[in-house]
Amino acid sequence: MIYKLQVPGPIADVEEIRILEWHGAAGTLYAENDLVVELETYKAVIEVRAGQAAYLRAVLCEAGDWRRIGETLALLSDSVDEPLPTTTNADDLSALTVAFAIV
Amino acid sequence: MTSVDTEVPSRKFFFREAIARALVEEMIRDPRLMVLGQDVGAFGGTYREFAGLHARFGAERVRDMPVAEASMVGIGVGAAAAGTRTLVSITYMDFLLLGLDPLVNYAAKLRYKTGGQLRAPVVVKTTAGAKGQGVAHSQCIEAWMMAVPGLRVVAPFTPGDAYGLLKTALREDGPVLYIDHKRLFQTAGPVPMAETFVPLGCARIVRPGYDVTLVSHSYALVPTLAAAEALAAEGISCEVIDLRSLAPLDLSTLCQSVARTRALVTVEEGQLTCGVGSEVAFQVRQEVAIDRVARVGAVPAPVSSNPVLEAACLPDADRVQAAVHAVLGTRSGDGPHRAKL
Repeated sequence: MIYKLQVPGPIADVEEIRILEWHGAAGTLYAENDLVVELETYKAVIEVRAGQAAYLRAVLCEAGDWRRIGETLALLSDSVDEPLPTTTNADDLSALTVAFAIV
Repeated sequence: MTSVDTEVPSRKFFFREAIARALVEEMIRDPRLMVLGQDVGAFGGTYREFAGLHARFGAERVRDMPVAEASMVGIGVGAAAAGTRTLVSITYMDFLLLGLDPLVNYAAKLRYKTGGQLRAPVVVKTTAGAKGQGVAHSQCIEAWMMAVPGLRVVAPFTPGDAYGLLKTALREDGPVLYIDHKRLFQTAGPVPMAETFVPLGCARIVRPGYDVTLVSHSYALVPTLAAAEALAAEGISCEVIDLRSLAPLDLSTLCQSVARTRALVTVEEGQLTCGVGSEVAFQVRQEVAIDRVARVGAVPAPVSSNPVLEAACLPDADRVQAAVHAVLGTRSGDGPHRAKL
């Protein structure tokens, strides 16, 4: 299964966030509760942790980039070699992936 | 500035970061510049707008103060008159009332009463506006401050203007009241990469148009711009002007716009009586003979902490639209049309 990691939300008063730091790269295997990425809102840093075990496969934005609530940050998968969708179009990605669980 | 700003290389900042950047640059440049206020030190400011300053410049220059606004402004003004330069942070504008004596009776008068021998280069930075905090933490009383000779008043809407106006304020010879709005801290936007100053007394045309001029400042531009967008769909073209500087007012930009549109609607979150809009409308009409004028502002009631009642107090896009229709003699729902001229 291919998963998409999205900017979590809704967060009160927050429309967009800035990516602060990735904790992993393509190929990293996360266990449940591992820190995946830190996001910066206008007043706080949010730790996004894995809600399930998975491999990080494709990071779609870098530290310093801005994304809105719900936008896709990365793709993950159950196995390390599962073929990834070739599209980067948001609607197509939505059709080919499911939301990655976070805590 | 009388036209839409030209594009300059910029980077996106949170609103608070634009403020911190202006302060870092000015504190590096001027070792006499100090920051005084509640929670400005290690905590980094109520809105994190002073984050990093304490670690970088130390407790001597970034000073936490007790909850004593009169003393805080008094010390800031006195220190400035004695040869330093200060920024005094008053978290909520409502409590600036406690610090008005040193600001109004001393700082704003000092240059005049000493024949130019003494000056008080102090910036009082504060935060206005409603965001669920009730009657005594929500007020927009900037119009009162416009009536003080010797005091300059600025109120940015964008992070870029927050940066540029604060930079300019921190180089002024006399006192400047710099006002943020609580709801602007959740915004982000471009800030020029290069060191930039926004001159005082310089409005900005945010949205060009030709049927009516909408004049606003700070967060009230949000409902104003939303109304302009909705009116555009009805065929009414609004020119939206961000005052940026309330004292001095950029009468030239306002009059040039109103001379073209022949209609003026002012929008503010503060009270209408003796408000920013009253002053803008009167000064513009001294120069441009028009009779199509309307003001939009808060209803004459304390702002409730109940979110429903708070919203009922404040100007919104619907009220701005209604005011535009009233001055133009048009009606909402008429369908696409040009306003009657």
